[in-house]
Amino acid sequence: MSAKNHRSISLILAGASCTLLGAGAPTKAVAEEASAWDFNTSLLYYGEDGDRVKDFSVSAIAKRMFVDDRYLTLGLTVDGLTGATPSGAIRQDVPQTFTRPSGNAAYTVPAGVLPLDDTFKDTRVAINGSWQQPLGESGLINLGASASREYDYMHLGVNARYARDFNRRNTTVSAGIALSMDSLDPVGGAPIPLTPMLDVGDTSNRLGDQDKDVFDVVFGVTQVLSRNLVVQANYSYSMSDGYLTDPYKVLSLVDGTTGDTLLRTPTPGVEGPSHQFLFESRPDERTKHSIYGQAKYFMNGKVLDASYRYMTDDWEIDSHTVDLRYRIPFGEQRYVEPHLRFYTQTEAEFYRLSLPDTEPLPAFASADYRLGNFDAITVGLKYGWRTRSDDEWSIRLEAYRQTGTVPSSQVIGNQASRDNYPDLNAIIVQVGYRF
Amino acid sequence: MGSPCELVCETPKRANALELTERVAAEAWRIEDKFSRYLAGNIVARINASAGATTEVDDETADLLDFAVTLYDLSEHRFDITSGVLRRVWRFDGSDRLPGAGDVAALLPLVGWHRVSWQRPLLQLPAGMEIDLGGIGKEYAVDRCANIVREARGGPCLVNFGGDLVATEAPSRRRRWKVAIEGESDAQPERIIDLKQGALATSGDARRFLLKDGVRYSHILNPSTGWPVPDAPRSITIVADTCVEAGMISTLAMLKGREAERFLEAQGVVGWCRR
Repeated sequence: MSAKNHRSISLILAGASCTLLGAGAPTKAVAEEASAWDFNTSLLYYGEDGDRVKDFSVSAIAKRMFVDDRYLTLGLTVDGLTGATPSGAIRQDVPQTFTRPSGNAAYTVPAGVLPLDDTFKDTRVAINGSWQQPLGESGLINLGASASREYDYMHLGVNARYARDFNRRNTTVSAGIALSMDSLDPVGGAPIPLTPMLDVGDTSNRLGDQDKDVFDVVFGVTQVLSRNLVVQANYSYSMSDGYLTDPYKVLSLVDGTTGDTLLRTPTPGVEGPSHQFLFESRPDERTKHSIYGQAKYFMNGKVLDASYRYMTDDWEIDSHTVDLRYRIPFGEQRYVEPHLRFYTQTEAEFYRLSLPDTEPLPAFASADYRLGNFDAITVGLKYGWRTRSDDEWSIRLEAYRQTGTVPSSQVIGNQASRDNYPDLNAIIVQVGYRF
Repeated sequence: MGSPCELVCETPKRANALELTERVAAEAWRIEDKFSRYLAGNIVARINASAGATTEVDDETADLLDFAVTLYDLSEHRFDITSGVLRRVWRFDGSDRLPGAGDVAALLPLVGWHRVSWQRPLLQLPAGMEIDLGGIGKEYAVDRCANIVREARGGPCLVNFGGDLVATEAPSRRRRWKVAIEGESDAQPERIIDLKQGALATSGDARRFLLKDGVRYSHILNPSTGWPVPDAPRSITIVADTCVEAGMISTLAMLKGREAERFLEAQGVVGWCRR
């Protein structure tokens, strides 16, 4: 027996088992150790219409499961941004010349066209990592860190979240904090707020690096109400402190009667702005409060996910967001998920379409369309399927439309005949692969 | 079976699940009642109390005895259903209380299948010797119960008797059973296995061992010496078509001691060994 071939042992055993059990051939076993790593990757394209912003983004999230419900998550995102974004200057019936943010060159925008700053090209690399593990009998703690780098911006952040289950795990209460320390090194230097755009080569109103800190706190409650319904409510507080101005945004200084931008003559022999533009100015603090409610309702495999968010801040922006997703499975491996999102916000207290020369300069002013009064709607559809090897693919297509209005009290003279808040349309295509 | 037994099934109606569970439970109890060495009056008790007389056994018992003989041969006499008497001196309770060498040696004359006369269906066991089918019984029960589920067309079911288990089919939605192999502590599984179908059995001494002077004594005993097999892995998990095969391969590997991994490799089986 001692010379018995090892391999034949399992064969003899298989035969003996068959005899013992007396049934036909047993089902063939198929098993493997569960993969400890889970990868979630995606390719995202965001494209605004015309010459405006295009973002191509690649991201990968790797999650490593350890014993005892401990997880390590690592993420990497690389964004490539191109395209142009409104500079804040208003349209004119004549061509307008601007000095580039770098201060090294000038560009001209044709008559009647919305001035866009086309130096908006950047690559952003962001990484993050987090560790999650149980803490005590029913607690869970998550600690994370993040960093990102782009040409003119650097972000470093840390965050922590603690969640605790009660009521036989039907109630989860959580609290989280996040700290972010960002530094900006704008192209050409950060301009002194509300100073004029100067001729090419003149850097006398530029400052060095700027800093911004953000502190966030979130409190949340998740409650399982029935077999089919889970609801969640969050309150979050966010305080930003530091340089919150957009260094590339300007306002047009206009005639208080005609509403036309005041002309300017560059120094002879030097290129420079044809009109008078002032760099914007924002308060160096911003405090936001937001409340968020979400309900997930399961019905026969379908999932309705509805959420609402109200945000208010001391810049006097109030916003409401309603988000609806409805996941409909068909077959065992596929689903479609229509998505509808409505957003509306009021303008910041210091939002100005332009600055009339008849009024004293305010302390803060911005013509950034993102701080204006606008509504937005997103309509999308996601389609997902699972492969034989249990990987998951998804493709998401969405259309975004933003329509804004400028308060009539801010529209002066000839401005009334121009489109002061042009619509913004964008499409979003995302392909996701999970394995 | 000395451990929690469960049936996890995916059926369209609650009534189907209940009916299936009742049939599976009935079979598990039948096997327990018939073969447990802790119960009086069953066939094992009759054999052990036979005091040297010949016992005629039924077909099912004879099949199990034949199977035990095959294992005895395949294991170079290390798998021996008469070695249960050694438990009179070995108590694997995590302590450092080793038995005395003399006490162990005194039991050896009562151990050894070669002392038994087995001419199916007649078994003659020398007086004082005992048999114990506990090393096969649980796996056998799992396979029998899985067959009941299959014959009843019970759909995807997981028959799990204390970690020895069979999945009849993959669950339809999740498409695999996630099986956590118990580690040394309650909270931390040793590993997680995606089982689509088939059997999984684990042998181990997570809680059954003795520790003295830094030496760990596993509960796997070598019947020829009466002492634990040295250098046995702490745990072996095996995948096979039937639970009996999976369980026996992991037991045979355990009996190989430090050669366990080499043995498993040569078998070409899917398995995991932890030292």
